Amino acid sequence: MATTVAVAKQPKRGGRWSPWLFALPALVVYVAFLVYPAVSSLWFSLTNWDGLSATYKFVGLDNYFKLPHDPVVITAVRNNLIWTVVTIAVPTVIGLLLAIALNGKVHGKPILRLIFYTPAVLPLVSIASIWGWLYNPQYGAINSFLRLIGLDGLAQPWLGQDSTALWAVMIPAIWLRTGFPMLLYLAALQGIPNELYEAATVDGATKWQQFWHVTMPSLRPAHYIVLALSLIDSFKVFDMIYAMTYGGPGTSTQVMGTWMYFNVFQYYQAGYGTAIAVVITLVAIAVGIPYVRSQTKEA
Amino acid sequence: MTTSYTRRGFLGLTSAAALGAGLSACTGGGTSTGGGATQGASNNLRLFTYEDDSTIGLLKAQIKKFDEQNGTTTTVDSLPGSGAAVYPDKLRTELLGGKGPDVWRIWGGQIGSPFAKAKQSLDLSKYYDKYGWDSKINTTAISGMTFDGVKSGVPFLSLGIGAWYNKSLFAKAGVSAPPTTYAELESVNDKLVAVGVTPCGLGGKYGWDIMRLFEYLLEHTAGPDLHDKLLTGAESWDRPEVVEAFTLFKKWQDKKWLPQGALALDPADVEPWYVQGKTAYTITGPWTEAAAILAAKKSSSAFGNFELPTDKSPARHSGFVEGYMINAKSGNADKAAALIDFIVQPATQKAMNITASTVKGAEPDPKTLPLAAEWSQKYGNNPFYTIQDQAFPKKQADQYFSVQSDLLQGSVKPDAAAKKMQEIVSAWAKS
Repeated sequence: MATTVAVAKQPKRGGRWSPWLFALPALVVYVAFLVYPAVSSLWFSLTNWDGLSATYKFVGLDNYFKLPHDPVVITAVRNNLIWTVVTIAVPTVIGLLLAIALNGKVHGKPILRLIFYTPAVLPLVSIASIWGWLYNPQYGAINSFLRLIGLDGLAQPWLGQDSTALWAVMIPAIWLRTGFPMLLYLAALQGIPNELYEAATVDGATKWQQFWHVTMPSLRPAHYIVLALSLIDSFKVFDMIYAMTYGGPGTSTQVMGTWMYFNVFQYYQAGYGTAIAVVITLVAIAVGIPYVRSQTKEA
Repeated sequence: MTTSYTRRGFLGLTSAAALGAGLSACTGGGTSTGGGATQGASNNLRLFTYEDDSTIGLLKAQIKKFDEQNGTTTTVDSLPGSGAAVYPDKLRTELLGGKGPDVWRIWGGQIGSPFAKAKQSLDLSKYYDKYGWDSKINTTAISGMTFDGVKSGVPFLSLGIGAWYNKSLFAKAGVSAPPTTYAELESVNDKLVAVGVTPCGLGGKYGWDIMRLFEYLLEHTAGPDLHDKLLTGAESWDRPEVVEAFTLFKKWQDKKWLPQGALALDPADVEPWYVQGKTAYTITGPWTEAAAILAAKKSSSAFGNFELPTDKSPARHSGFVEGYMINAKSGNADKAAALIDFIVQPATQKAMNITASTVKGAEPDPKTLPLAAEWSQKYGNNPFYTIQDQAFPKKQADQYFSVQSDLLQGSVKPDAAAKKMQEIVSAWAKS
């Protein structure tokens, strides 16, 4: 009883400021390294700063008004949407199928898990280089294989033409991103009680019915995590495009992230580039809100 | 209670430390627009360059010699193989971070220009006077690193671009001598294709490599006067000579005189193909002898070079300069200038195997670099036009590469490409 009283009195000693004091170190770091740069970026997006000079002028919302008139922004937004849909849907579905397969009675499960997850831990620049060689129109393995089996007509300059370049970059992106949902789904599948399947079997449910009425509902929390993280990951795409096509041919594979980079770092238009960065951030926040809300509710 | 106070004390200290770190970060962020205050003087110098593995050792050996003579400690950082597409970004980021290098290597023209205009690089006029660089260094090269009348860099390289070829593949196609007219060059290309050899190895990733072919074709169709006026926006690009150049450019791809899918190929991969026997020649500069031929342990005698025939007078090739700038915020500007002066000494240039030095008395050694020496003797004195990715600011250069890309893919016709180029150049000229 004495212990209970002592514990009950603890909050009074610190008062209502205790939680803030404990949070303060992290809060200061957060403000200094995240909030302050973000606010700075917001400010620079309202200027004509070239990114190098000591001086700049305030131009209001001019940079934002320019965005819809920039043809590369239109291309970049379209590419971002295509990229997001494809690189979420395909790895998620393949990851789920692999997880289900590996959750069953399969020989060499640990080895297979390792094989499927390995691409996710490889450096992106290495992946880009490897796939760049595979896609080489004259000496790459893909075209060589197509020619070997008599499909010469399908051999293409995959990264060298507008019609195939973006899709060709998405394939390695799918390849490296499948391991992550697979692992999450695998962990979630192993948490589903066996009794649910036994009960469903007793009730006469087929395997297909068990999948839709037992497995899928039980995976709902995993779906949330996979979709939310994949969505954010997809929207901020930069490295694969930069390393494999440099936004080309021409500007055909530019996405918002690379176009922001080109403006800030290559064209000395830091004001305009940061306006693009602000838009990317706002969209990422907007799409992240449902995920954060769902997590908050569960907490 | 004691434990409680200790925790609070720890919390307070942690908060203070974090606050201090945060404020430091704020200060660092604030300098992002100015690059920070002038750094303190010391005997430590840092030089940033893009030497590759085959030449960095030579530079470091000479820097060590300078340090021994001057009591300095110079750190050399290099970003090899990055090209003008990446290296300036890294340099810019370092400068904005407030602790940029004391000395950096950079290309002239529109690549070096932003650093001078933003006053990140020092006005070197007083050092030009002190060391007499005006009389020691090629005047045209100096103008390539002079921006708005300010001498912002010291050029040590003045490089000419030409064709570098594989003799055995030319022989395989029955070609006994390099072409001397454009028609002969086309004929050589046809003969090479007939024996299954891709003539010209260029890569379109980043744009600048395949541009070397187009700028040559433009020199061939437009001639020196018009070409120069086109580059400054003094004449319209929407004209027959430009349309003809774009038509020829497409012809080179359609007749398979370029590698399949050239647009996506990385120049770093493609350029050495002529040494590996995958293409007959490439369009590049004298550095290729050390970087591609000698690096592959091949004999220079198996290769040759020639100036691309323009059929115009005077005969010109494209060219560009490279040199060193000094950080305007460096506290060691005097020592940095002394280092540059040491680098541009003929003996240092020779020791570094510089293939196209701007310095009198530092011509390439025919014994170690016979092809570079041959190029220098035959074509080194020919005039050159500014290589086009240095003639245009990066944004306009990228738009220009985009037009070339659309043309090669067939989505834009030559006449539309010429009109588009005029839009790009006239918008730039007005800005």
